[in-house]
Amino acid sequence: MAPIVKVANLDKYFGRLHVLKKINLEVKPMEVVCIIGRSGSGKSTLLRCINFLEEPSAGTIEVDKLIVEAGGKGREHRQLVHDVRLKTGMVFQEFNLFPHMSVLENVTEGPVTVKKMDRSKANEIAEMNLDRVGMLFKKDEYPMRLSGGQKQRIAIARALAMEPKVMLFDEPTSALDPELIGEVLNVMKKVAQEGMTMLVVTHEMGFAREVADRVVVMAEGEIIEDNTPEEIFKSPKDPRTKALIDRYRSGGVE
Amino acid sequence: MNLFTKQEDSASKSQAELLYQAQRRKEQLFRTNVGLSWGVLLLILVFLFSGNSLTIANFTFNTIKLDQQFIKDNMFFIAGGLWETIKISILSIAFATGLALLAALGRLSNNPPIYALSTFYVSLIRGTPLYLQIFFFFLALPQLGIVLSGTLAGVVALGLNYGAYMSEIFRAGIASVGKGQREAALAIGMTPGQTMQRIVIPQAMRFAIPPMGNEFIAMTKDSALVSATGFVHELMWRSTKVGRAQFRNLEALIMAAIFYWIMTLILTYAQSWLESRLAKGDR
Ligand SMILES: Nc1ncnc2c1ncn2[C@@H]1O[C@H](COP(=O)(O)OP(=O)(O)O)[C@@H](O)[C@H]1O
Ligand SMILES: [Mg+2]
Repeated sequence: MAPIVKVANLDKYFGRLHVLKKINLEVKPMEVVCIIGRSGSGKSTLLRCINFLEEPSAGTIEVDKLIVEAGGKGREHRQLVHDVRLKTGMVFQEFNLFPHMSVLENVTEGPVTVKKMDRSKANEIAEMNLDRVGMLFKKDEYPMRLSGGQKQRIAIARALAMEPKVMLFDEPTSALDPELIGEVLNVMKKVAQEGMTMLVVTHEMGFAREVADRVVVMAEGEIIEDNTPEEIFKSPKDPRTKALIDRYRSGGVE
Repeated sequence: MNLFTKQEDSASKSQAELLYQAQRRKEQLFRTNVGLSWGVLLLILVFLFSGNSLTIANFTFNTIKLDQQFIKDNMFFIAGGLWETIKISILSIAFATGLALLAALGRLSNNPPIYALSTFYVSLIRGTPLYLQIFFFFLALPQLGIVLSGTLAGVVALGLNYGAYMSEIFRAGIASVGKGQREAALAIGMTPGQTMQRIVIPQAMRFAIPPMGNEFIAMTKDSALVSATGFVHELMWRSTKVGRAQFRNLEALIMAAIFYWIMTLILTYAQSWLESRLAKGDR
């Protein structure tokens, strides 16, 4: 099957810092790919280059047949970036719900403002997606009154309501108290089982092992290993992968 | 509740609770005493202008005698300026708010001419006196064939002036909205304009409302400067007019001062009410 996400020869510099080095990555439709790696290895930057929250320095990003070259300028490029963002949903470590809007408004904001959907249709879609993440009962609440786990589930619903082709998760459970991690992982697992294509940066090895089709290991701006979870966890090829997995085994999460 | 359980209750009260209560009583006592002292100060002030004399032993204090008849006669004339003062303040603050928002956005722009325009405006206005600006719009512009009424000149000058100062408030408000908010909006496909309008500005506004209240209060007082044009019949103009005409400036200015004071007291109260509402709100 043709890949739905294709990152080719991606380079990213922050000033003089070379953060991503000739990254190549393909994700097939309905595939769940977990990205693991030490902090600072470039996982977030890779994810953020895919939806252009960071402008890549060089290379090509392809999402669902839209091809965007790095370094593009002008209207055409901006339109392409916009279209790529419509095809990708993103979930952040810090949730980033809109505090001045109710839960329902958070989820309808995209459909109404971006897709110009009429309010009743948007409400219908929002309620469906809130139900999907088990948060419909809080639809009239404001984010500040919710737990971190609840906020993150709503953030997932907000992204899903735009009906993206690919979901990007950047350490979605890293800001959560341990007892709240499970509810978010369960929602993500459910979304994966429903056939969503997902790229997940995570430290949750249990999730990677159970849900991922592939695990990609990053170190110092490069992909050092890309394999099935079985292979990665049972017989890691790169010593850095082995060190990383050992650290998780011994309970040390950075 | 009978006496017995009450005693038990107080016996079982923790030390922290007792200390807290003592602290509360102290604070309450302080507030009560401040309130009483305010009352006394007010009474002294009123007495000073009551025209009575007070004799203690051999000393006689003569207080200032105000012309009661003048006060009665001109009360309504001066009070008639209240509406004009309020009107000018509201129009100016509205104009200033719009300008301040534009200037703040310009200040955050990557476009050199827009950035320059915004900083140029703020620098020019902050670098010259408000009094001069009012005269500029009223007296200097007619030389170029642009004649503004006193009220319009005042509103334009006050609006431009306060807009420059308030742009800093909005800039800080916009800066207070986290980067994550912008990114979340962009990630669902919002344009930078939509992100600003729907996500950043509403949150910045909430941040900006308390300091804007201060500006509005300051403006109601600065609106008195507009009287200098001689064509805006607000509080200050009215009180100086009758004061000068009948050489009763003392009475006239005291009356205007009382009106300004009451106005700012009401506004200050309204502001703290609004602030406490915002603090309780869904932040
Ligand atoms: N906006 C930025 N400006 C400068 N350096 C950055 C920026 N974002 C990330 N970096 C640097 O890029 C490297 C990779 O960061 P990141 O992608 O966040 O790593 P990870 O998500 O794997 O922890 C780090 O060295 C980090 O300090
Ligand atoms: Mg990261």
